[in-house]
Amino acid sequence: MTGVLDDRRDLVAGVLGEGSLVPAVRAALDSITPGLARAFCVVPAVPDPAPLTDLDDGRLDREVGDALAATLAHVQQAAATFAGGGRLVVVLPHAPLLGTTRGAAASAVTNGVLSMARTLALELARDRVTVNVLAVDADAPSVRALAAELEALLGDAGADVTGQEISLTAGAGLGRLRP
Amino acid sequence: MSSTGAPVALVTGGAGGIGRAIAARMAVAGHTVVVGDLEADAVRATAEETAGAHGVVLDVADPGSRRAAVAACEDLGGIDVLVNCAGVLRDARLAKLDPGLFRRLQDVNLLGPLALTRLAAAGMAARGRGAVVNLASRAWLGTFGSTAYSTAKGGLVGATRSLALELGPHGITVNALAPGFVDTAMTDGLPPEIRRRTLAAIPVGRAGRPEDVADAVAYLAGASYVTGQVLPVCGGRSVADPYAA
Ligand SMILES: NC(=O)c1ccc[n+]([C@@H]2O[C@H](COP(=O)([O-])OP(=O)(O)OC[C@H]3O[C@@H](n4cnc5c(N)ncnc54)[C@H](O)[C@@H]3O)[C@@H](O)[C@H]2O)c1
Repeated sequence: MTGVLDDRRDLVAGVLGEGSLVPAVRAALDSITPGLARAFCVVPAVPDPAPLTDLDDGRLDREVGDALAATLAHVQQAAATFAGGGRLVVVLPHAPLLGTTRGAAASAVTNGVLSMARTLALELARDRVTVNVLAVDADAPSVRALAAELEALLGDAGADVTGQEISLTAGAGLGRLRP
Repeated sequence: MSSTGAPVALVTGGAGGIGRAIAARMAVAGHTVVVGDLEADAVRATAEETAGAHGVVLDVADPGSRRAAVAACEDLGGIDVLVNCAGVLRDARLAKLDPGLFRRLQDVNLLGPLALTRLAAAGMAARGRGAVVNLASRAWLGTFGSTAYSTAKGGLVGATRSLALELGPHGITVNALAPGFVDTAMTDGLPPEIRRRTLAAIPVGRAGRPEDVADAVAYLAGASYVTGQVLPVCGGRSVADPYAA
């Protein structure tokens, strides 16, 4: 699924990335009609839980370094198609964003991508590109909630929303300090 | 703990602008400081100007160098405080961001600190105490033109949270600092107009000094009831409009 442009939608809404949430994002996109010519969902691969003692140099390189590099490549690929404007939505698992035991590698990737998205929202605003992050429960993603948010972010009114992080987790994580 | 009974603090990037101030501050706080940095001369000079300090040539992006530095600290009794301060900043807008540069910034600013934390945490856990202080950056909140750097610093913030959860039961705290604009070699090359606008966006009306950051590091290194936190040290810029001016 690496770098696949979703040709079923004739480039209306592409999905880039190898994350486990790709099927949920595809299902959500299939259930809506995005009203925009250029939109991409980026779904990074996130490492499995592992204790710090297991994160040797090779694993850090592959699971964190390579995952972030792949996300950069996907974002660059998407942005290259955004002449005149576009929408980028990054879909991430919620738990490692907030932190978990045995989650150092996953939290490094998800929060690295979160900060990447924040920077790109600032940087690409002048090109009329919006960048937002949706955080979902990786074990039981709500396709319904994903679809509703994607429809909003990819529709006309989505032009006014950028740099936002929206959790679609029915309140999981409330009361915890956000990164 | 060193043979003198003083806790041992390894400060990576210890010969840099902020690192030198941290080394000095940690020495004043009673630590045996180990200055780790790339250039032997700079390491030696900083160790000499820091009371009771040792120096080690360290490339945080090199696995062998990391292992050697941690082994040198083991000879002193083992690392009690790890300050991940080594860092590099290179800006490039997304379209011009070279993947090699992106990777280099992840290697130095994110993967190196995580790998060092793994090595240091083993000894800390065995002794039942320790502190890791990660130098992130206000760029974790997003900074125009700084995709590679903000990704790495955001990754460090995220890892800090999970590591705090994992290592807390072993008596180890893990925190991050998010400095704003601090006058060092890293910020020397800023174009005058950007520098003016940056300073104008800082509520306290001045650039940060390395000592501002060093004080916060010393606090977090000794705060056994504070973990998993990100402390912005930015003159209030993180609550102001960073692009107002
Ligand atoms: N100066 C600022 O405004 C600012 C703001 C936010 C965060 N920071 C962070 O604070 C830390 C210190 O920055 P500074 O302002 O003192 O910068 P600096 O350039 O003065 O010092 C950085 C030091 O890190 C060392 N270093 C670089 N790569 C290394 C490697 N691979 N291995 C070991 N050492 C290496 C350099 O030799 C240098 O001595 C960095 O992590 C930086 O990202 C600085």
